[in-house]
Amino acid sequence: MLDQVKQIHPHVFTSPAELDALVLEPKWLFAKMARSVLRAKPAEFRLAVAVRGCDERAVVELVKRSQIDRERLLTIGYACGAEQAKACLCSRPYPEKLEAGEAVAGVDPFADGRCIKCYGCRNSCPICVCVPCKLEDDVWVERGVIPAEMVSFHLIRAFHLSDTCVACGACQEACPVGIPLMTLQLSMRAALKKDYNYEAGLDADRRSPVLFDFIKEPRPGQNVPDWVDSTGKKP
Amino acid sequence: MNPEFIRTICPYCGTGCGIVLKVQDGRAAASYPDRENPVSRGSLCVKGWFSHEFVHHPERLTAPLLRKGDAFVEISWEEAIDLAARKLRETASTYGPDSVGGLSSAKCTNEENYLFQKLIRAAFRTNNVDHCARLCHAATTVGMLQTLGSGAMTNSISDLAGADCILFIGSNAAESHPVLMGEVYKALDRGAKMFVIDPRETPVARNARKLLRLNPGTDIPLLAGMMRHIVDSGLHAKDFIEKRTENVEALRTFLQAWPLDKVASETGIDEATIREVAETYAKAENAAIVYCMGITQHACGVANVIAICDLAMLCGQVGKPFSGIYPLRGQNNVQGACDMGALPNLYPGYQAVADAAIREKFQKAWKADLSDKPGKTVTELINASGKDIRALYIMAENPCISDPDVNHVMEALQRLDFLIVQDIFLTETAKFAHLVLPGACFAEKTGTYTNTERRFQLLHKAVDPPGKAMGDFEILCLMGKALGLPFDYASPAELMAEYAGLVPAYAGISFDRLERAGLQWPCPDEKHPGTRFLHGTTFTRGLGRFVIPDYTPPMEKPDAEYPYYLNTGRVFAHYHTGTMTRRSAFLNREIEDPYVEIHPDDASALGVGPGDWIRVTSRRGSIVTTARISDRVVKGSIFAPFHFTEARANMLTNPVLDPACKTPEYKVCAVKMEKDHEAQAR
Repeated sequence: MLDQVKQIHPHVFTSPAELDALVLEPKWLFAKMARSVLRAKPAEFRLAVAVRGCDERAVVELVKRSQIDRERLLTIGYACGAEQAKACLCSRPYPEKLEAGEAVAGVDPFADGRCIKCYGCRNSCPICVCVPCKLEDDVWVERGVIPAEMVSFHLIRAFHLSDTCVACGACQEACPVGIPLMTLQLSMRAALKKDYNYEAGLDADRRSPVLFDFIKEPRPGQNVPDWVDSTGKKP
Repeated sequence: MNPEFIRTICPYCGTGCGIVLKVQDGRAAASYPDRENPVSRGSLCVKGWFSHEFVHHPERLTAPLLRKGDAFVEISWEEAIDLAARKLRETASTYGPDSVGGLSSAKCTNEENYLFQKLIRAAFRTNNVDHCARLCHAATTVGMLQTLGSGAMTNSISDLAGADCILFIGSNAAESHPVLMGEVYKALDRGAKMFVIDPRETPVARNARKLLRLNPGTDIPLLAGMMRHIVDSGLHAKDFIEKRTENVEALRTFLQAWPLDKVASETGIDEATIREVAETYAKAENAAIVYCMGITQHACGVANVIAICDLAMLCGQVGKPFSGIYPLRGQNNVQGACDMGALPNLYPGYQAVADAAIREKFQKAWKADLSDKPGKTVTELINASGKDIRALYIMAENPCISDPDVNHVMEALQRLDFLIVQDIFLTETAKFAHLVLPGACFAEKTGTYTNTERRFQLLHKAVDPPGKAMGDFEILCLMGKALGLPFDYASPAELMAEYAGLVPAYAGISFDRLERAGLQWPCPDEKHPGTRFLHGTTFTRGLGRFVIPDYTPPMEKPDAEYPYYLNTGRVFAHYHTGTMTRRSAFLNREIEDPYVEIHPDDASALGVGPGDWIRVTSRRGSIVTTARISDRVVKGSIFAPFHFTEARANMLTNPVLDPACKTPEYKVCAVKMEKDHEAQAR
């Protein structure tokens, strides 16, 4: 509610007269609050709660786990705006039971459903030189079908470049349909930097930790089995 | 030798992406996206990335070939040109001017198309010249001329990114115009709403807010229902209609025949959805309609296009940025081939051959006597082959795969007294020729293509044609001179000056100005920056005209004997008749075998599993192909790509034509299917 000092906070309304103060923004999630309110009240107490798409889904899960008695809770669904959906990378910014507001389209955060399989990400990459390419291997990638599969196509490509990607952004620039490929690439670069202090392309003498340093510099507390040593030498 | 990098334009679809060809030792060795091309801005689809692969294919034609019995023998260019000119002239003098015809090419440059139509018209005094636009967007040209006054896409590709609502009707741009989809997705990322109207769940539909899987061929009822709801709800653009259009009363009367309940039962789309799409389109600040072959390749293709124009005008969604009507052109230069007058009723710049003043202008410019009688269309030229048409000159077209009912096409071509085919490979059509002339591909020529947004773009020659093969421009110049025409053009650039002088809309265009980013026509003078969108203050025809779109249901519906609908189209890795893409190793690896998509229920009823060989038969022919089980098609419908010579979908299609534009109804016919045990055993 919007209170007398113009502050917005959750509120349990008990009389229709109070409802003038009802506001639905900014985003608050009420599922868990509803659970605690109902728990503190006697069994005959009934509560209605205004829910966004995500909040409605939270209610469903809490009911499933016997945390909320569905008989005692009425949900009133309302839709999020486009901006909120974008901020949350939400694919369903509206409840199943929509009673207020207009549903806006969900965000497809990785947009992989758009892939036209141009191979531009691979072709434009300054490091991709393997012959044969895993993306041309029937075991992994189905031929003749678009969009290319997220796991079999984009993740294989990303992992294959995990220790060589120099963060040039050429893959993302070449993508005609705007798939944010650097999201994958940068997170893997960050992992190598964190665990091995390794950044591809900076040190001409140091070999890739994925191939070599895994033996020399195990992470703290990590047990490395002997068979990992591809050079044949024990660490 | 160091490699050279040559900027040119992709030879596949009408998007017109920029390619940088890497040339090493005289060979096109790689294709890169041109980062400075204003259309594609550093992206390509898979076909563009591998556009160099067919260029040096060992099956390229390297010398003129003359038929001797069942075989071809190599002859010299002198013999070939002399023979071609003699045979064509003899035919015309024996059987009259209209016994000669020509098919020009949407794969060739503007300059080549201009020369080709001029050659046919000026040398033989006939207008028997047409090209494959007849098979795709002729309905657009005819329909949009009546309503708006211009058959071209109204806006630019980049305008799509600014639209708030986009309707896709019968366009699978994700496979057919892939790079253009990037602009659509930019709009969606801004919160635009996209609706897809298509019987198939295409890759475009996957990203749509809603897919309207209408019954095949019921576009007019659906569009009429939307318009009815818009008018009934008062959402039409009253001011725009009042000031910019005429004949709205006739449309209102027509819409009385389409109440929503009737629309719903005819189309199979529920009333609430029709209302939602109609309201979203009408209320959007800027709304775009993208359409393609799903609209035009019907027996009522012209009326389908008219209905789209009516809807856009009704809501005032045309004549401004970010809105408009987007008929996506198929071939790289199908816009240009139409612009250059490779059409039987129009000179370059859509100037009518039947108009005496215009004919006089061209007679004077070409110093030739010209026919006032519109010529025959593609389908009519083929049908009349061996009858009224005795000699045919086909430049870079392959009707034996691309035309409907290809069995009939092959019979017709064999009846000709003389058939000349000019192409880069010995195509299915060239095999029937008496004389085969080896032409050049995109990498081997200088000239211009005009893309789907009316943009002239420059091709730069990167490599030489193989062997004795020659640029089509040079061949046409030789042919013209042999036929007594003054075809002494030093270069395509010089030729462009000739047509720029004959068509006011191209007057300001010259090779020099095209170097950086091309130019979008109309461009009436040398200072004009080109035109991003049409119909801004007035429509090309003055007032926009509401025309009644008469509904014709599909001509051939499934029955007991042929119980399935057949729909045809393209797939992302191949292009049209496959002449180039199926000779590109990378593309052909992606899709090697012909297939049809079959719904899982139909497949299990027939006992067909994924990859099984099946026989598909229509009243016209029969093919053996493989099954791809997919719920992308609805039960009772199958989809067949038409690229495959070994299983030509156009063996099956129905050659019934739209009466106004003569475009065949490729999108709907009836077929039956059975498992092919013989092929399965192989």
